Amino acid sequence: MNRILRRSLHSSRAVSQKLTSTSQSEMNHFNSLASSWWDINGPQRILHKMNLLRMDFIQDTVRNNLKLNTTKDEEIYVPGYSLDILPVGIKERIVQDQEFKKDQLLSETKFNVLDVGCGGGILSETISRLPFVNKVTGIDLSVDVLEAAKLHMEKDPILAEKLQYKLSAIEDLPKTDKFDIITMFEVLEHVDYPSKVLLEGLKRLENGGWLFLSTINRDLISWFTTIFMGEHILKIVPIGTHTLEKYINQIEIKNWLEKEPERKSNYKVVDTKGCIYIPAYGWKFTNCPDIGNYFMAIRKM
Amino acid sequence: MFRIIKRFSSQLTKTYQDVVIIGGGPAGLTLLTALKTSPITKNLKCTLIEGTNLDKVRQFNDPPEYYTNRVVSVTPKSIEFMKHIGSWDYIHEDRIKQYDGIIAYDSQDSESRIEFDVSNIGKDMLASMCEVINIQYSLLTKIESLEDDTINIKDNIKVIDIINPVEPDMNHDLNEIDKNTAIPELDWPIVKLSNGESIQTRLLIGADGYNSPVRKFAHIESRGWQYNKFGVVATVKLQFEDFRSVGWQRFLTTGPLAILPLTEDNATIVWSCTPELSDLFLKINEKIFPHLITAAMVLDEVDLNYIYEVLKENPDDFSILKDIEWRLSKFDPLTLEQNYPLPVVEVISNSRARFPLKMSHADTYISSRVALIGDAAHTIHPLAGQGLNMGQSDVSALVEALEKGMQRGMDIGSPLVLENYVSNAWPSNHMLLGVCDKLHKIFSTDFYPIVFARGIGMKSINMIDTVKDFMMKQISGK
Ligand SMILES: Cc1cc2nc3c(=O)[nH]c(=O)nc-3n(C[C@H](O)[C@H](O)[C@H](O)COP(=O)(O)OP(=O)(O)OC[C@H]3O[C@@H](n4cnc5c(N)ncnc54)[C@H](O)[C@@H]3O)c2cc1C
Ligand SMILES: C[S@@+](CC[C@H](N)C(=O)[O-])C[C@H]1O[C@@H](n2cnc3c(N)ncnc32)[C@H](O)[C@@H]1O
Repeated sequence: MNRILRRSLHSSRAVSQKLTSTSQSEMNHFNSLASSWWDINGPQRILHKMNLLRMDFIQDTVRNNLKLNTTKDEEIYVPGYSLDILPVGIKERIVQDQEFKKDQLLSETKFNVLDVGCGGGILSETISRLPFVNKVTGIDLSVDVLEAAKLHMEKDPILAEKLQYKLSAIEDLPKTDKFDIITMFEVLEHVDYPSKVLLEGLKRLENGGWLFLSTINRDLISWFTTIFMGEHILKIVPIGTHTLEKYINQIEIKNWLEKEPERKSNYKVVDTKGCIYIPAYGWKFTNCPDIGNYFMAIRKM
Repeated sequence: MFRIIKRFSSQLTKTYQDVVIIGGGPAGLTLLTALKTSPITKNLKCTLIEGTNLDKVRQFNDPPEYYTNRVVSVTPKSIEFMKHIGSWDYIHEDRIKQYDGIIAYDSQDSESRIEFDVSNIGKDMLASMCEVINIQYSLLTKIESLEDDTINIKDNIKVIDIINPVEPDMNHDLNEIDKNTAIPELDWPIVKLSNGESIQTRLLIGADGYNSPVRKFAHIESRGWQYNKFGVVATVKLQFEDFRSVGWQRFLTTGPLAILPLTEDNATIVWSCTPELSDLFLKINEKIFPHLITAAMVLDEVDLNYIYEVLKENPDDFSILKDIEWRLSKFDPLTLEQNYPLPVVEVISNSRARFPLKMSHADTYISSRVALIGDAAHTIHPLAGQGLNMGQSDVSALVEALEKGMQRGMDIGSPLVLENYVSNAWPSNHMLLGVCDKLHKIFSTDFYPIVFARGIGMKSINMIDTVKDFMMKQISGK
């Protein structure tokens, strides 16, 4: 009852056209998916599965880029060469020390996170549960998916104190709101001006902060696996989710970052990883980020 | 509806549990210890509920002189795991017997022998004999030494009902639950206890043994069958300490009889047999029973059947002792000494007990917010001594899946987390169950052609190293 009431209060399902926003048809598409968003055996199963890999990507990137020694005379030994050339026992010992130090550093960390295009909140929820995350804000332009997100977070009482959702375009967030982690997973391929959305995100990073994104290369394999196979043959992605001309190649993002001196000096692409969906198995990293889906980690220096 | 949830959720965060484990047997206690010692899962709020009084376990701090009758063979892999979670520090090590081989032979053809020994697997021990209560004691002591106030152990309390708030039905009255500790709007299982309490939990674990109430709640089908056989167990004393440190197993057509070494001159027996025989074995005079065991490891089955008949008439017929002695005297003493276990001279009073034998395997170990471990998930014929060990590897696989899930920020009740547990644990358990079942079927027969084939089978098992390796690896868990 409440749902219907609240819906009718909004004359349109999405907020009016924004600089970064999406066509009405995109919005309608996601609105219609809202109710089944959290059915892990439903149309969004592939996102749920992909989320497992995203979380690994985020964790690994954050952990592996922690600064272990903040002062010169600290004791954690980070040799300037590969650990693999050391005898096993010594290597194990060093790795153990390093991991311990990382745990310790992370236990003192309290990250603020912004999840852009959060949809039903698959990533917003999981990232909220990480011990080193303090607060998560999920934003989206689709009223219905946000409602699905809010309804679902009630299924876990611990989320209430960490997670909030807002119907907002990224450029409408105050410029002074800064975040340690900003995520844009499976969003850029759905917006009309991806570089603008990306830039709005980058501008809101704290120093040392991370922007994680995932999207799809505009190539034949992507078309084949995501649109043709995914939407039409395997029916694992709802038809209408993707349009090929909106796909962005990972190298385009890199080039775009380097094009302007200021961007080039402020932001660095730390990691890019290709990934592929194998039916009946799930998602797997590949060693080729130029084909199909990819994850990218950009850091503000 | 929205407002109600908001109002209760503040209370709930104080009382809700992340994990509720039903069952304080070896599987349940191992899981609790593992969760609470893993750096990743140790902050989970955990409750364990056990229907019996755990003081019996705590009192093992000052163990009785004689061995208790539930003794299991523990593989090095299980021990490694218990060392890893820190409970092995608290085991009474002086009550553990390492043994380094099993000699299995056939009642129908004593030439058919399989000798398993450690040289086959390049290890210095095959497995260790250990009382179940010793394992429970070590786990419980470890848990209590943590002094962790997010651990809650409720013993002497039974689970009387489990309610799924999403699909309440006539039999499950949501009005009866304690609203201070549970909210019907949340899709987490609610456990109702015999003391009137209700607990709501993110993840419910069935470590509640063969008749698992949790498995029934989750509508998980368990397939299997009774063998119409019982396992009779007893603690015994041998003539003297056997320095060979091996276990003996004889395949009688009525079921296998095993003598497994304990420290010094102690040993434990597991005798699988028909229901009628099990009745008899429990009734036979305590002074006669040891000699029957000795006889059953050696004599022909025709002779044994005669002895059973006499004892059925009169379980206290001491004249049978002379008869047994006479029949054994027909064997060459040197052969007896070398190829058979030492004579059994005493059965510890009140140590005899029997258990129905069954084989079952649940179709899956999980459903939304539920996972099964140990005997709740599978029961196995005791012939390979794997029941407890399978529970240990379940726990290890489940904890690994939960750790991975936590690192990924997942709700640990989600099937996406629990699926990893099933895909790791189910197939290997299934294979083991199948092998033991087939062994049982092959050896429980005196039908001549099969015995013939079996003889060949046994001899060839001894020759074909790969088959032997497989069996060895199961026993030692490598
Ligand atoms: C004759 C025999 C010989 C065996 N030999 C071996 C061997 O050599 N090696 C080996 O590894 N295994 C052996 N086993 C198997 C081994 O004993 C079991 O596999 C093991 O004990 C199972 O542990 P568990 O914790 O899963 O279940 P259990 O030990 O059955 O524990 C279940 C617990 O749940 C509690 N419970 C149940 N319902 C409720 C409820 N509603 N409320 C509260 N509490 C409840 C019970 O009180 C019990 O304590 C043998 C078994 C038999 C019968
Ligand atoms: C494929 S979904 C991905 C959802 C979520 N990030 C995930 O991966 O689980 C894309 C989401 O982006 C949202 N979206 C599209 N354009 C947007 C924009 N301009 N600003 C914010 N969100 C947008 C859609 O409403 C939809 O929920």
